[in-house]
Amino acid sequence: MAAASVCALSLGTPYVPLHRLPGALLDADRTLAGIVVTELRVPRLVLALVVGLCLGAAGLVLQEALRNALAVPEMLGVSSGAAFGVAAPLVLAVSIPTAVQPLLAIGGAVLGGGLTLLAAGLGRSPSAVLLTGAAVAAALQAALLVLMVMADQFDLQLIYRYLLGSLSARTWDDVTGLWPWLLVALPALVLCAPVLSVLRLGDEDAEALGVRAQRARFAALAIAIVLIAPVTAVCGPVAWVGFLAPHLARRLDPAADAVRWLPWSAAWGAVVVAVADVPARLALAPVETPVGAWTALLGVPVGVALLRSGPRKPTARRGAARSDAARSEAPATGPEAVPTAGKETR
Amino acid sequence: MKRRFAVFAALAVLCACAELLAGRGMSPTVVRDVLGGGGDATERHILLQLRLPRMLVALAAGACLGVAGLVLQSALRNPLAGPEVTGVTPGAVLGAVTATALGLAGWQSPLAVVVAACVGGCTGAALLWLLAGRGRGDPAQIALHGVLVSAVLGGLTAMVLLVAPGELGSVVQWLVGTTEGRVWQHWHLLWPWALVWGAVAWLLAGPLTLLRCGDDIAGAAGLSAARARTLALLCAVALTAGAVAAVGALGFVGLLVPHLALAVFGADLRMTLPGAALVGAAVVCGSDAAAQLLSRLLAVALDSGRLTLPVGALTTCVGAALLLAVVRRSPSRTF
Repeated sequence: MAAASVCALSLGTPYVPLHRLPGALLDADRTLAGIVVTELRVPRLVLALVVGLCLGAAGLVLQEALRNALAVPEMLGVSSGAAFGVAAPLVLAVSIPTAVQPLLAIGGAVLGGGLTLLAAGLGRSPSAVLLTGAAVAAALQAALLVLMVMADQFDLQLIYRYLLGSLSARTWDDVTGLWPWLLVALPALVLCAPVLSVLRLGDEDAEALGVRAQRARFAALAIAIVLIAPVTAVCGPVAWVGFLAPHLARRLDPAADAVRWLPWSAAWGAVVVAVADVPARLALAPVETPVGAWTALLGVPVGVALLRSGPRKPTARRGAARSDAARSEAPATGPEAVPTAGKETR
Repeated sequence: MKRRFAVFAALAVLCACAELLAGRGMSPTVVRDVLGGGGDATERHILLQLRLPRMLVALAAGACLGVAGLVLQSALRNPLAGPEVTGVTPGAVLGAVTATALGLAGWQSPLAVVVAACVGGCTGAALLWLLAGRGRGDPAQIALHGVLVSAVLGGLTAMVLLVAPGELGSVVQWLVGTTEGRVWQHWHLLWPWALVWGAVAWLLAGPLTLLRCGDDIAGAAGLSAARARTLALLCAVALTAGAVAAVGALGFVGLLVPHLALAVFGADLRMTLPGAALVGAAVVCGSDAAAQLLSRLLAVALDSGRLTLPVGALTTCVGAALLLAVVRRSPSRTF
């Protein structure tokens, strides 16, 4: 994570070498490099980390609650719904304040996710849920495309970039807009983690232990939506992070339970987004590529490889070079340290 | 059986007529005049140079998609293997978009678009084949890996579009599937392609029927299952690529039309393949007519002149609803 952060801060135009970074951070207003770093790159990095945290945690919550390794926001229609909620006013030229955007996104996400789960039934077979989700997501995507067809050329570019999930040109305002939502979601996450580990046992055992399975599932879905929707409102649906991060977390620590996985999954999500943002900025410079496209391109194959190789020891075959790079950084933070605490100060 | 064919043929003709009548700016009486040889130059142009090819392209593309879906589902013995779910359609879109962006193919050379779409479709199918590995027999596995493959290919398409953003406006219509602005050129390109591969599919009807029974039975009947399957997959990819190059990625047509055809015409593919072509043509053409009518109604209701509903949006929404209904109604079946 540290390496990804340093890369994110120093690479790009203008290139700021490593030893000059602290200086640039300290005299922010005087040099060009300082302004670029503090006003553009730091908020972008923080945003990437926060987005990754939210998506990783939400992905794990969904996967555990539905006992389904493929229950990711993209496949349940949650992401598409949230994106629809944000994009619709854009096209219809209704100007709305930025504070309302997360609410709209939440509305859309509830619509998408709720539709899927109601149609598929909650305790049904994973593949049924998944297919229903794919259908719902496809329908929402079609609705989005209709909106895009209606839009004029300039709006179209804007929406398209947004839909792929992009972190470009985000400032401190976007970051500060996320805090209230995080404050709501974090305690809820802490509360629901033990319940999730009980849900793993199966509905009957969970009921015997006094957990109302259906209600717990709905609560988990609600938490996931609260985590995903504001993030989607700020930087679009960054794809497949919620799929990859939980699998990485499980892979590293197959013996643990949901409570242990949750911080790890969030941390992995942050790493994934931060790492993916580097090629997103640099690969086709000066054109920015959206980070969502990179996470989809790299994340899906890695995730599938992890899925197919099954739970093995961490020394087993690595998924891909990217997770290697991230992995070599992870032990440095220490196995017990929860990397969420020290991150914002970095 | 003959009666059923007649009913569906009549339905397709009906949809075609509706398609001719549903567009903007001309009343049905004027259409009748023009067909009778009257009408002024503008009206003649609209009907003969715009609406007629549009109708024909919609029919041909629908037939292609229906047959391709049926061939895929039979070859893989998988009720969920439509072209959309197996990565063929996203692959074809990627190929076409890439070719357009690289300047290899444009509106001037439509054949190049078809070839590129074909290559892309093959790539998508091959990716899925590699990914699914041992789980090829399991329908849910295939569908699942197909969704993942589609995600990767979608990401690539997005990348290409961002590098060459000039094409975005026209390509978006194409990502959802539309018959707007199709002219005789498209039709001249599509019908030989569809005819050739449709003939191939029809020749494969017997082997495919055997494949539906399972590899053991097919082997016992003297069919080399692997070879037949490879041919069938190639045929399905080619048909899908042709349809995608002509009208774009219409959602759910290739997945749901074969089910309808099987329910109506039975499991003998020598009957059902032409049937699926008829059903697909009727569905796409009817959806296009309905989409045009809806656009007109919505434009009146919302009082905005620029609203056009692409046909792909309609097929996707209806298809998604149908799929939900199917999944919902059979709780005992695991998909």
